[in-house]
Amino acid sequence: MAGLELRQLRKSYGNVEVIKGVDLNIEHGEFVVFVGPSGCGKSTLLRMIAGLEDISGGELRIGGKVMNHVEPRDRSIAMVFQSYALYPHMTVYENVGFGLKLAKTPKDVRDQKIREAARILQMEHLLDRKPGQLSGGQRQRVAIGRAIVRQPEVFLFDEPLSNLDAALRVDTRMEIAKLHQNLGASMIYVTHDQVEAMVLADKIVVLDGGVVQQVGSPIELYQRPANLFVAGFIGSPKMNLLPVTVEAVSDGKVTISSKDLAATDIAANSSGISAGETVTLGVRPHALQISSSATLVGRVALVERLGNETNVNVELPTGGQLMAVLDGDQPLQIGHGIALGFDSSDAVIFDGEGQARHL
Amino acid sequence: MKNRASVISGIAAIVFSFFVFVIPFLFIILMSFKDRQQASLRDFSWPNGFHLWDNLVAVVSTRNWMMVTAFINSSLITVVSVTLLIVLAAMVGFVLARRKAKWNGTIEFLILAGLMIPPAVVPTIWLLQGLKLFGTLHGMILIQVAYNLPFSIILYRAFIATIPRELDEAAIIDGARPLDVFFRVILPLLWPVTVTNIVVQSVGIFNDFTNPLYYLPGSSNATVQLTLYNFQSQFNTSYNLLFTNILLITIPPLIVFLFFNRQIVAGMTAGAVKG
Amino acid sequence: MSVATATEATIGRGPVSAAKRETAYPGWFLLPAAVIYSVLFLLPTISSLYFSLTRWTLFDATFIGFDNFAQFFREPFLIKGLVNTVIYAVVTSGMKVVLGMALALLLTSRIIARGYLRSVVFFPVLVSTIGVGITFTVLMHPTNGMINEGLALLGVKGPGWLTNPNLALFSVALVDVWKGVGLATVIYIAGLVAIPRDYYEAARIDGATPWQNFWFVTLPLSRPATATVITLSFIGGLRTFDLIWAMTKGGPGFSSDTIASVIYKQYQAGFFGLSTAGNVVLFILIAILVVPLTMLLNRKRGHE
Repeated sequence: MAGLELRQLRKSYGNVEVIKGVDLNIEHGEFVVFVGPSGCGKSTLLRMIAGLEDISGGELRIGGKVMNHVEPRDRSIAMVFQSYALYPHMTVYENVGFGLKLAKTPKDVRDQKIREAARILQMEHLLDRKPGQLSGGQRQRVAIGRAIVRQPEVFLFDEPLSNLDAALRVDTRMEIAKLHQNLGASMIYVTHDQVEAMVLADKIVVLDGGVVQQVGSPIELYQRPANLFVAGFIGSPKMNLLPVTVEAVSDGKVTISSKDLAATDIAANSSGISAGETVTLGVRPHALQISSSATLVGRVALVERLGNETNVNVELPTGGQLMAVLDGDQPLQIGHGIALGFDSSDAVIFDGEGQARHL
Repeated sequence: MKNRASVISGIAAIVFSFFVFVIPFLFIILMSFKDRQQASLRDFSWPNGFHLWDNLVAVVSTRNWMMVTAFINSSLITVVSVTLLIVLAAMVGFVLARRKAKWNGTIEFLILAGLMIPPAVVPTIWLLQGLKLFGTLHGMILIQVAYNLPFSIILYRAFIATIPRELDEAAIIDGARPLDVFFRVILPLLWPVTVTNIVVQSVGIFNDFTNPLYYLPGSSNATVQLTLYNFQSQFNTSYNLLFTNILLITIPPLIVFLFFNRQIVAGMTAGAVKG
Repeated sequence: MSVATATEATIGRGPVSAAKRETAYPGWFLLPAAVIYSVLFLLPTISSLYFSLTRWTLFDATFIGFDNFAQFFREPFLIKGLVNTVIYAVVTSGMKVVLGMALALLLTSRIIARGYLRSVVFFPVLVSTIGVGITFTVLMHPTNGMINEGLALLGVKGPGWLTNPNLALFSVALVDVWKGVGLATVIYIAGLVAIPRDYYEAARIDGATPWQNFWFVTLPLSRPATATVITLSFIGGLRTFDLIWAMTKGGPGFSSDTIASVIYKQYQAGFFGLSTAGNVVLFILIAILVVPLTMLLNRKRGHE
């Protein structure tokens, strides 16, 4: 049973620090997704866990043992690469069995493990082919098969779906989820696609600039983003963020307003916030509804009709933009006025530092 | 219109190339079919009878079957030095392409120097004598390796740079040690450029005249090029035998050319496009 | 080079060792090549700088300062060798550039028998230089040679290709071009086919004539190929030895001597110090001619 512990993990290239002290606990069997924009350090962090990058500072433990200086082959991990990295000169059978061969596993055991992995991934008919003769999806399977036969405690995936077309990506995503249920091993999965993160993860780690922004379950991240970065990154379409002025503060409640917004009470941790200060109001597009007791009034700038819902881009009087996702097909016309309201419990206040003030 | 122009210019080119490039070879072939008397005329005429076999026997058996020894020596030098070149150059190319180290600049400078600088012959002879390698096949082999390493390294490094690094990493995760990564994953993938290397270097080393002239004096370790050169003065009255000899040593490159034309061209033009 | 790190990495293989982890790209991979190259190439090259300043018998060397070099620039036949080397390199590389480009243009056009022509032009590259040299020596014989017999049929009296002191060097250079133009051609062919068709299409829309096409598209865009051809054939020309040795041995007199043939002659004569000085002269000549040349050729390539 192997969990992972990252303690103040750091990585620097010369003077440039790219991972700035990451702390993280991963339980055995958990599916963890590292998500963030490109250059946020998520791949570097994964490669440090794999042992492909040296660790500059801090401690990495797998199954309780310090792994900082252990060779990748002794870390009980397996990795699926973005480009799959199949050995072009070997057949699928040899690709999957290469690690076992290096470990001098007896031939019959090896054969049995390779066939078992092929059965799980339904690729028995591909075993004699070379990678060049396979489609993108099939190569992906082989790459996963190569990971499975190693029977690792931790699977590492580095953007494994980014080379697949949209339809195949959804299928493969489901297969990886099923695989996780069947194998019960820990999986760490790197992606820049927040939808993949939301769908697959037990636990999402949002990274930006080499720093962990928030760790939590998908719903937690969606409903209670820790800061403006997470709020903007998780959820599609993006959360609306409006600058507002604090009118009044009381315990557990902040009254805000702006030129576009009538005074509204929002439940929030108000300590340290004072009247007159500028803060940010965050409201998800899905939380906005057409309402007579409207708090926000604007003009319809763009309508996207998806059938089951309607995306409306609203221009506010001061020039700000707002995105609303309304249920069903709404009879809206570009240029007409629109009045929107929201439930104050769906709104989040971010202070001047960008930190969320959840109660 | 276009078609007729290309046919006319094509025919003109064929005729021209026949005179410039084909006739010299036909001349060699015709001469090697002639008897001594007819060959001494050194003209472009049809042989009076078939004397190729007699000429071959005469050439090969001259001076105690020297030609046979020379062929064995040349083949030995070529095969062993090319084998060493392949393995050593691929290893250097691999590390050079993959590792960003502070001495990379120095190595690159040395490689370019090796391509440009003419070897200092007498100091090399002095050194080989000190190492007891002067006039030996071992010494000749090591010289060929040293002189031809830069070119092979350049070919390998350029090719290795196109192999994704993720492949090495996948192998490392799979448990491969450095030698496994190189010999079981990388080296097999280098096959196309290895073929190019084998072909280009074999032709170069087999045809080399200058280095054996300096480093393999005497007749016991002569190579085919040296033998041919010595026959020039020895056979100056038997042009049929001289040209039979030329024909004989043109056959190995011809075979290579017929089978590996594409790889030779690829190797020799490598880098021409990208600089 | 990095034996120390390599051994360290091999030892530090235990699961929880603090030692440096092994790299997949060990420095000792460079070692065997480095040893052979350093001992057999670098060491002689560096020691040649010293031996060129000595009177040398291989057993003992007497330091005589720059006497060898002074002699090199005093003796007319040695100066002749120096001048000939430069002429030979310029003539052969110039002709290879022009003819190589012309042949490449012809052989990338829609011409019949393209494969045959490419093979025929390229094959001499692979043939033994000595064999080629001997063959052409026979062909260029002033009275019995096929070339002059052929010219006689056309009513032209052929020159003494290798016997006329003013002509010998150029005749050898001509054979060098005959043997080497195939390589220049295939390099140019590779360069030409790499030029994207778009440029020609754009030029056609702009109404370019074939000549403008060549001058404004083909020539500038095949510049990397030109750089390679010039550099390769220029260095080759400066170092050339075997063809000259097979055809004229530097003669008649010293009229076709080059530095490389001088080096060999002095070596044969036992003047090892002088021979080595010749090596250093050749080395310096290559350095002062080729380095600026490559810099010039590779300039302004950023935009490609």
